[in-house]
Order: sequence, then structure tokens, then C-alpha cells
Amino acid sequence: MQMVARWLPPHQMPKRFRIHTDTSDFFRVDYDDVVILDNRPYLIRHNAKELRFGLKDEIKHWVKRVIDLEDGSLKIMKLVFYERFMSRVGGIEFECFRSPKKEARILDLVSEHRNFMHGYAKPDEKGNIIRVLDFIKGKTLATHVSRMDMNHETYYHEHFSRILDQFIECIQAIRFLHDHGEKHGDIRRDHILIDQETGDYRWIDFDFNYRHRENIYGYDLFGLGNILAFLAGKGDVLLQDLKKEDNPCLDTLSEADLNIVFHNRVVNLKKLYPYIPESLNRVLMHFSRGANRFYEHTSQLLNDLGEVKALIRPTPDNPEAIPPI
Amino acid sequence: MTEAENTFNKNILIAVDESENARRAVSYVGQLLGGLPGFKVAVLHVVPEPEDDYFPTTAQREEWLAKYVQKIEALLEECRQALIGKGFDPKDVSVRSTLRYCPSMAECILAERDEARYSTIVVGRQGLSRSEEFLFGSISSKIVNHARNCTVWVVE
Repeated sequence: MQMVARWLPPHQMPKRFRIHTDTSDFFRVDYDDVVILDNRPYLIRHNAKELRFGLKDEIKHWVKRVIDLEDGSLKIMKLVFYERFMSRVGGIEFECFRSPKKEARILDLVSEHRNFMHGYAKPDEKGNIIRVLDFIKGKTLATHVSRMDMNHETYYHEHFSRILDQFIECIQAIRFLHDHGEKHGDIRRDHILIDQETGDYRWIDFDFNYRHRENIYGYDLFGLGNILAFLAGKGDVLLQDLKKEDNPCLDTLSEADLNIVFHNRVVNLKKLYPYIPESLNRVLMHFSRGANRFYEHTSQLLNDLGEVKALIRPTPDNPEAIPPI
Repeated sequence: MTEAENTFNKNILIAVDESENARRAVSYVGQLLGGLPGFKVAVLHVVPEPEDDYFPTTAQREEWLAKYVQKIEALLEECRQALIGKGFDPKDVSVRSTLRYCPSMAECILAERDEARYSTIVVGRQGLSRSEEFLFGSISSKIVNHARNCTVWVVE
């Protein structure tokens, strides 16, 4: 009680709480309970929620917001939840699974890397691998870009260069994982948080895994390509939106200009935004239905983006601006 | 004829999995070469070492692996019988399964070939869509692109 009282205002003090040393049944670990892990007590505050695109928030009962009662810091605690399921992306089915072991291993690997979330893993008394993560204050990359209230051209000339720089760091971070034989497993634009304190882009949530076939990192690369197209387009450029606004570019688009998996997303962005340099558009087109060659390694993508960066330089008047090419 | 002409042996490696495409590859070799003298066929299945992450416990991993190996032994025997049925001498047909860490199945198959020096590799075409090939890669395409000092047959 005394430890809890140090970190909570009186009106939030629980009257009693249960103490858990075995978290196998994560539904039983509830608000105001305390989990003891390696002799360190954590007070459970909330179940975490995950925003799914356009859907109601999904409550993740195995992910808790907690207070570390030793130092009062806010943490995210991930309890063990094994699940295997068939995922469908653009009509293609593949097997996915959640692995606490994988996430624990990666946390250890990236403990010094600024482009990842940080934390540690400890077993509870039943050997469940619990991950305790530092709470990152900040928006997701998806939210950050979606909320920029300006037209594409302004966004592109004034902000894109800096965002691309940061995203290239994120790709380098994924290369770091791949170089160590690890996949991220669930690369999405809402799995990058922009750390409010440092401004760093940081990957989160690496407990997901997929059964790879020939190209072990293909699905990760697909995720990176989708984020790049989202950033270059200031959002997904969807066929249905172009139709709705009767966009004149619609007539110039062919199937080859669409995302290779999501056939309603345009990746040949130069047709809509002619100031996008050819070198960047070429990279985007590697993720199109018209692509002849696919990226197999992050280093290939990074090499090509290196050429893009050489062209997109800040102007002296506006250090963040990109001259039209 | 040139001085640099390669010499090819009559050893054929058929890499199989549980798919229909693999069965077609076996059937093709049986029909084409069954009964002809000098050809030796090895049917190979590479068992990809299952990722630890996929299993909550080591016991579950071992159980999965034991069942998988049993299934593959049956598959390989089925392939062997199919080739013998097409006229191969039983002593010229061998089967082999091997457990390997396999980030790339194509590279594992090629590594097996390098160890045993087969002049011809036969695989079935998986029939992937472009999207699937993009997301997960194609074993046969990679074998075709990366094979050296051997001929590759991709059976449709």
C-alpha cells in the first residue's frame, strides 16, 4: 500500500489489490492488481488498445499499462499470449504467430538502438516471458502525417525531405534486424512512434512473426514499401478517392501503376504529383504491379533511396525545402 | 565442341515438397528417363529447421518435428515407388531428407547439390501469382537464378 501511495493521488488509491506472480491467465490480471516480476512490483492501470484503421479500438488484454512501483515510471507490460492464425493480405493467405521469445530477443538486441522501443524481458514464476517496455510519449507516424493540414505540394516541398531522412533511419534499423537474422514481422505506419522527447522515429511491437517461404524478409520489405508510398503521397492514394473527386489523372493510370498487392492503391505517384523526382518514383514502382524486379534486401532499397536523397536537397532559403526536379 | 566444354553426369536431383507440383516433377523424370541406362535419381526433401519462436515449448517443437519427418518419409517413399514404377532400377533411386536452418529453401537445395555433385536439378513450378512471388519469393525462380555448374529443369 505504501509503495502504491507514493505514486498515486489519494482518490486513485485502490482499497485492496491482488498480487500475481503467475500471469498465465492474463484475463485475471486486472486494473489495480500488482504483478511481481523479479522481486519488482508493477501496478496495473489499464489494458492497452490498438487503433485499427477505420475500426473500433481493439482491447489487447495481454498488454497492460503499469506503474513500476520502485521508481514510479510508466511502463507497458506484455503478458504471454500465444496465437497462430492465417493472415490475409490482398487475398494472399499466410500463417502468422505471436512470439514473446522473439520480442524478448530483439529487445536485448536493440537495447542501445535509438530507432526501437526499449525494455527488458523477465520470466514470471511459471516461466512466462513478460516484457516490460519503456513508455514512449508521442504520435504514430501515421497520425503525424495524416494530421498535417496542407496540400501535397506544400507538404512535399517543406516537410517530406526531413520525414524521408527519418524514415531512412527506420529502414536502416530494419536492416540491423535482418543482419542479425531477425524479422520485424509487422511493419506498419502505426508501428513507428515519433518520440516526443527526442524526435526519433522508433519501431514498436516486434512479437509478431510469419512463416516465411523463400524470401525470409519479403513481407518486411513490403511493409517498408507501403510506408514509403504513404509518406511520399501524404497518405494512401486510393483509386476510389480519385474517382470521387473526378481526378483528371485517373485516365492516365494503368494497372501497372497500382500497388502489387493492394490493387486500389496508386504507387506511380509522379503521375499525380509531377514534382516527385524520377528516382523516388522508380523506388515506388518496385512495389507496383508493373515491377520487373522486387527488392529482396533492405540494402537494395537503401541504396536506391540514397540516390533519391542526393537529389532532394534542402534549399538555402528554406533548409527543409525540396527543389522541384 | 570447344576445349571448355563442361562434362555432365547422369545424376539427377529432384527436390520435392508435399505439393502437387513436386509430384509432377517426379512423374516427369519417371516418364522421360525411366528405363534408360546410366541415370541415377536422388529425391531430396529439405526439412526447414522449425523456428523456436513458433512453439511455446521445446517439447511441442520436438513433437511437431517428429510428425513432420514421419510424413516426409512417407512422401519420399511414394516418390521412390513412382520412379521405380516408371522403369528405374531400385538401386538407382535414392531418397534423402535433411534438417537444415533454411532462411532460403533454394539456397539449401543448391547447397545439397554442391555437396553431392548432381548435374541436373529438377523442381516443380509453384505457380505463384506475382503478388505472392513479391511477398514471399519463389523457390524455383531463385534456383534458376542462382544455380551454377548444373542444369535446372522446372516442371510445369
